[in-house]
Amino acid sequence: MNESAPTVLVIDDDPSVLKSLARLLCSIELNVTTFSTPEEFLDQFEPGIHGCLVLDVAMPNLNGLELQQELAARGNELPIIFLTGHGDIPMSVQAMKQGAVDFLTKPVHDQDLIEAIYAAIETNRMSRRTHDELNEIRKKLSTLTPREREVLDHVVSGRLNKQIAADLGTVEKTIKVHRAHLMTKLKVRSLADLVRLAERAGIMSIASNRNDGQT
Amino acid sequence: MTVLWSMLASVSLTFALLHLFIWIKGLQPWANLSFAAAAVAIAVITGMELMVMRTMSIEQMAIILRWVHLPLLVLWVAIVCFVRCYFKAGRSWLAWLAVGLRTLALILSLTTGQNLFFDAITGLKQVVVLGGETISIAQGSLNPWYVVGPLSTLILAVFVLDAAFTMWRGGTDTGRRRAIVFSSSIIFFLLTATGHSALVNAGVINSPYIVGLSFMPILLAMSYELSFDLLHSAQLSDQLQDSEAELRLSKQRMRVAARSGELRMWEWDIVRDEIWSTDDDPMLYGISEPQKISFEHFLNILYEEDRKQVRHSVERSLIKGNGHYESEFRITMPDGQVHWFNSRGRIEFSEDDQPLRMLGVTIDITRRKQAELAVQQQRNELTHLSRVTTLGELSGSLAHELNQPLAAILSNAQAAQRFLARDNADLAEIQDILMDIVNEDKRAVEVIQRLRLLLKKGEVQHLPVNLNNVVEEVLKIISSDLVNHNINVNIDLAKKLPAVIGDRVQLQQVLLNLIMNACEAMSHTNADRRRLFVHTKQNGADKVQVSVGDQGPGIPSESLGSIFEPFFTTKLQGMGLGLPICRTIITAHGGQLWAINNTPNGAIFHFKLPTSSGEGV
Repeated sequence: MNESAPTVLVIDDDPSVLKSLARLLCSIELNVTTFSTPEEFLDQFEPGIHGCLVLDVAMPNLNGLELQQELAARGNELPIIFLTGHGDIPMSVQAMKQGAVDFLTKPVHDQDLIEAIYAAIETNRMSRRTHDELNEIRKKLSTLTPREREVLDHVVSGRLNKQIAADLGTVEKTIKVHRAHLMTKLKVRSLADLVRLAERAGIMSIASNRNDGQT
Repeated sequence: MTVLWSMLASVSLTFALLHLFIWIKGLQPWANLSFAAAAVAIAVITGMELMVMRTMSIEQMAIILRWVHLPLLVLWVAIVCFVRCYFKAGRSWLAWLAVGLRTLALILSLTTGQNLFFDAITGLKQVVVLGGETISIAQGSLNPWYVVGPLSTLILAVFVLDAAFTMWRGGTDTGRRRAIVFSSSIIFFLLTATGHSALVNAGVINSPYIVGLSFMPILLAMSYELSFDLLHSAQLSDQLQDSEAELRLSKQRMRVAARSGELRMWEWDIVRDEIWSTDDDPMLYGISEPQKISFEHFLNILYEEDRKQVRHSVERSLIKGNGHYESEFRITMPDGQVHWFNSRGRIEFSEDDQPLRMLGVTIDITRRKQAELAVQQQRNELTHLSRVTTLGELSGSLAHELNQPLAAILSNAQAAQRFLARDNADLAEIQDILMDIVNEDKRAVEVIQRLRLLLKKGEVQHLPVNLNNVVEEVLKIISSDLVNHNINVNIDLAKKLPAVIGDRVQLQQVLLNLIMNACEAMSHTNADRRRLFVHTKQNGADKVQVSVGDQGPGIPSESLGSIFEPFFTTKLQGMGLGLPICRTIITAHGGQLWAINNTPNGAIFHFKLPTSSGEGV
């Protein structure tokens, strides 16, 4: 996935503006796809695409903010750069809260737009990497047996093998075996690595995770 | 006797002088002249009779009796003239015959015997008459031609009778009275005088000649008639004086009324092309002195811009079957002030429908016009203010309208810069970009022009306007606002919509107001039901109707009557002037604006305007 070039998706109901933006982005050799309505965009949306969205706030039927919500509901993480004719503050605050990376006013200066786009692409790349790593961890976690998972929760909570054995009603030796197995499955060598991994996977404390099933 | 005859003569002379005087003054000249001549003749005859009575010599008697036929001829001619002139009747051949015979009598009197009466007078008989006076009467052998005299008398009598008969048939009361009085008195005189003279001459009776005496009734009759006329004319002149005074008074009243009403009456003789004002005020129309002027002259007095319109309405009124004229025009008065006039007239046509004359009045309406203009100006100010306020409310979306082309221009230009910075610049692409920049610039200019037109405080125009275009223009101005409010627009424009006469900007303002109200009404409506309807259609042969509907809550029925009243508002920030101004604008265009509630929800505002001439533009 990472090897393909990022694409900038531009949505604006004004064909002239759309065309001019596409030209500008072409001139710096970015991949551009244009859509004249949000609906058109949603119809042709491919979840795997990466890059960023450049979105006009004021559009008929479905405005920029609504599209942003719709995309969020679909679990899309494409960063959004908003363009607006008259940047009013409440609207930009809402957009930023909903996760917009930038909010630019028209007419937009090329440098500002390009920087915003690069930043957005970078953000996207970063978030994708994080996302990939998380997926990796989750995949590893899913290979654990329920008993191993139970042991993991206790280990990252900082409990000793002896204590864990007492809690789970078994002997310390059994716990040591489980612990060795899960370290191998999760490909970590030290307790510190294990804790860091668990932290990234969102496994924080025994209190909150005691009754969790498999992830 | 002497005294009586002298009196008769002097009475006759008095009458003669009286009527001579009237003749000189020129009242019924010929009748009075003939009467005067008759009276003089009678006076002469009476004088001669007196001389006959008193003469002692036969020669003298013969001479008098010879020459008495001269005044008799004069008398005949006078009577004939009187009848012909005064009664305008009588056969002329009879008149000529009577006068001819009388002339013959004079000639015979001069040529045969001693006179027409006697071949020879043999002696004078002294007779004692009433009052113990002694008079002379001629005696002798009679002239055989004597009969010519009575014959001419007879013919004259027939002439008079005939004239009287004609008048009797003529039928008026006056005519009949005159016929009787005059003919009977003349015939009486003629027969009495002639018969008596004949008897005296024949020596049958011993009395003086009584031609003068017997003429008295006729003199009195003639005089009675003439005096009657005189009296009548005196009465008439009294009446005339009265009615003249009356006329003067009513003229004066009229003038006072006209002055106070700033009203002037005029008359246009169309055949001679003369305009004449009944007012002697030289200030009328700014003409320096009262005079008759032609229609073209009148037009030249008017304000130049008004001439065409006045000419047009006059021409229209001249068309057969119309006849009504009305126009308003301005005139620069000699003091340099411009006055407004309203002029109305009515044309009189001849029987073959040719315009003969136009009568009319002109009213100075300057003060009314000034007040109207002041109100108009205030209304324009208010309209403009409201327009500017409306645009203020729209400023966000108007900025957006302007921003779009500017954004496109900037991005295009910067893209071009970057393309050019490359080693292998694609010139065709650059060309394309420049073309787009030019187009976008034009688009920005259009937006600005639309705005400037709405913001401008200009004169109200009266030009053909297609309401479909107005709808489209307004939707362009407001489109981004509609987008921001998530409003769907449903437009249904009639094809071939006739034009209306009006002010494009003001009509845009009305539509803008109605559409913005509709949008606002739907601010609490579910986004998917926010629908704006704008329809145009032809309503009847001479009206165009525009309707703006929304899907909002509608107008509360208790407010339906008051929404067009000033300062009535349901908005938090509204002045309550939008709809009243819309209605004022539509009313000023000769149309109507009203609102109804739509079913199942929302309100519809309709306005209709008269078409310019039923022709599509």
